[in-house]
Amino acid sequence: MEEEKRIGVYVCWCGTNIAKMVDVVDVAKEIGKLPNVVIAKDYKYMCSDPGQELIIKDIKEHNLDRVVVSACSPRIHELTFRKALQNAGLNPYMFEMANIREQVSWVHTDRGEATRKAKSLVAAAVNRITWHESLDKRTVDINPATMIIGGGIAGISAALEIGNSGRKIFLIEKENKLGGHLAGVDLTFPYMYSADQILKPLIKQVTNNPNIEVFLNTQIDEVFGYVGNFETKITPGDGKEVELKFGNVIVASGLKPYDPGGIENYGYGKLPNVITSLEFEQMLKKGKIVTKEGAEPKNVAIIHCVGSRNKDYHEYCSRICCMTALKFSNQLRSALPDTNIFECYADIRSFGKGCEEFYAQTSRKDIMFLMFDQKNDLPRIRKAETMDECDMLIEFNELLSGEDIEVPADMVVLMVALEAQENARDIAHAVGVSMCGNEFYIERHPKLDPVATTTDGVYVVGGCQSPKDIPDSISQARAAAARILATINIGQVEVEVTTAVVNEDICCGCQTCVNVCPYTAISFDEEKGVSVVNEVLCKGCGTCGSTCPTGAIRSRHFTDKQILSQIEGLMSTSIELQEV
Amino acid sequence: MSYEPTIVAFLCNWCSYTGADLAGTSRMKYASNVRIIRVMCSGRVDPTFVLSAFKEGADGVLICGCHPGDCHYHEGNYKCLRRYHLLQKYFQQMGLDKDRLRLEWISASEGRQFAELVDSYTETVKNLGPCKMKQVIETLT
Ligand code: FES
Repeated sequence: MEEEKRIGVYVCWCGTNIAKMVDVVDVAKEIGKLPNVVIAKDYKYMCSDPGQELIIKDIKEHNLDRVVVSACSPRIHELTFRKALQNAGLNPYMFEMANIREQVSWVHTDRGEATRKAKSLVAAAVNRITWHESLDKRTVDINPATMIIGGGIAGISAALEIGNSGRKIFLIEKENKLGGHLAGVDLTFPYMYSADQILKPLIKQVTNNPNIEVFLNTQIDEVFGYVGNFETKITPGDGKEVELKFGNVIVASGLKPYDPGGIENYGYGKLPNVITSLEFEQMLKKGKIVTKEGAEPKNVAIIHCVGSRNKDYHEYCSRICCMTALKFSNQLRSALPDTNIFECYADIRSFGKGCEEFYAQTSRKDIMFLMFDQKNDLPRIRKAETMDECDMLIEFNELLSGEDIEVPADMVVLMVALEAQENARDIAHAVGVSMCGNEFYIERHPKLDPVATTTDGVYVVGGCQSPKDIPDSISQARAAAARILATINIGQVEVEVTTAVVNEDICCGCQTCVNVCPYTAISFDEEKGVSVVNEVLCKGCGTCGSTCPTGAIRSRHFTDKQILSQIEGLMSTSIELQEV
Repeated sequence: MSYEPTIVAFLCNWCSYTGADLAGTSRMKYASNVRIIRVMCSGRVDPTFVLSAFKEGADGVLICGCHPGDCHYHEGNYKCLRRYHLLQKYFQQMGLDKDRLRLEWISASEGRQFAELVDSYTETVKNLGPCKMKQVIETLT
């Protein structure tokens, strides 16, 4: 006889996020009638402390042995609730979530239908959890070394943070020197600190730190292993292969400037005095602002949002270009007091500390701010005639005055967008992180967990995660470093236990699973004539489970029984309810 | 007269489930006929899961995985693709329309694509009419 199960079900309102579209009270009432469900409650915020305490209290009072929470996506709060179960003395795997926010209340518009669907998702979770079993967490030792991919300001900051606390760092840089884009910058906004004065001492500290091993001219191909125990082989510039072992990875691979050659209006590559923001930065660094002809420009125009905020190029805002453009105006004004400066912009985005003030200061320095329509009407640059007394003319409809204007220019600086690196996808594959549509890496949670990723032990910081300025990059780098130091300090980390196991009694020895496993985690025991799973190598994808002809392989926490009964639960309610 | 199909969808945790979550956080609206089951990888979708969905009364089954080359476990989606083709052949022999099963790649950033897929696939299954599998099995047994 099957032993009795005691399930508690909690339906979250998520304030009004769920309750507005789903009749949560009705869901709890109906689900409460299902077999094995001891109590079913609705509550305003299940993830809040009182919400979790409610579960803990009920587990103790009603002797619950399993808990279903029907709320947001398990990707957000599964761990929160598993911890609550643990606090109440239950195994964390005796938990299941039904996603009725992202999959129901936020995407449907009919309250009746939404409520019906919510019921069937919760019923499916109740069915599934009946088959859940306790799983014991496995802990592994952490290799205290860390690999950092990218030697720009983010990678350097993380390396120093960890290296200075006495832990080993492998710092991998694809170029022949450290420093990244910051090495090409003259002054930084909004306080006009010299980039060299920021960067050079840090690079020196890195090179002098015995804990930090720097590999230049080096790319990452493949990384094997899992949190605590990764390894890779690299071939640095000198051609000798090196094997590295480390417990954590920080990806700080940065970004690259957009090539404006694709925007015909701007004539980059055809008009010699149209240059990119990076090229202008080089001029500032050399202290010589001159046209291709070697003359001091009498008119300089700075065009904003080149390749940003426009569906034809990149839809996103590159974040740092507005402030960099204002910085250019400031530097131009001090270097060339009589030159006309035009800021041709779409909107000025002066985010961040000191930036709005910087904008206000700049606008008092005799600089013309002209607004154009970034979405539908980009400025057009053409070569001027001799009588125009300038090299080029920029033509556009100025939005604030409504007038069609022509701006004279001897030099045009294009504030180019920042985009993902060429090899962003390769790195993503090597370390197992996901990319958004713009090929920036996706963090574990955009608000609650902005530097971790869904792969344990892999962190993303700086420009590879999205365009950002120096302080933001450094903050992220140090945040990731702190996270890693904390795990190294504990010395051990819990790893997923949702691996595969073979039931030797029914394994027929066909070895199909051995062939499909992507991690060579399954081997064949000749003596016994059965397959054996190496649990350290297994990552729990479940591919073996769905190939096994005899059902001898069980994917823990995603067993056939669990999924089949989940399907049954989904369908039973949807049919019953449809007939009503 | 109008019948509302029920569609069971198997979504891999890493790309497709995240993509569906994104459709949610972006408040995109789509047909409520789809019921999602999370699996770690599309490679976990055992053919018996698909068949049992029909046995329980589903009118269509949708499988979503990471784009080729992007599977979190390297190649689970390729395994899934092969099974999908086999299953579709098998479907024809059983007298089931092969459109009752659909495999699509949805990345973590493709919330919109997911919403559109659900809408268009719901339409497809609606046009196929109710699936009789459950009834047939019930009369046979
Ligand atoms: S993890 Fe998405 S298909 Fe394998």
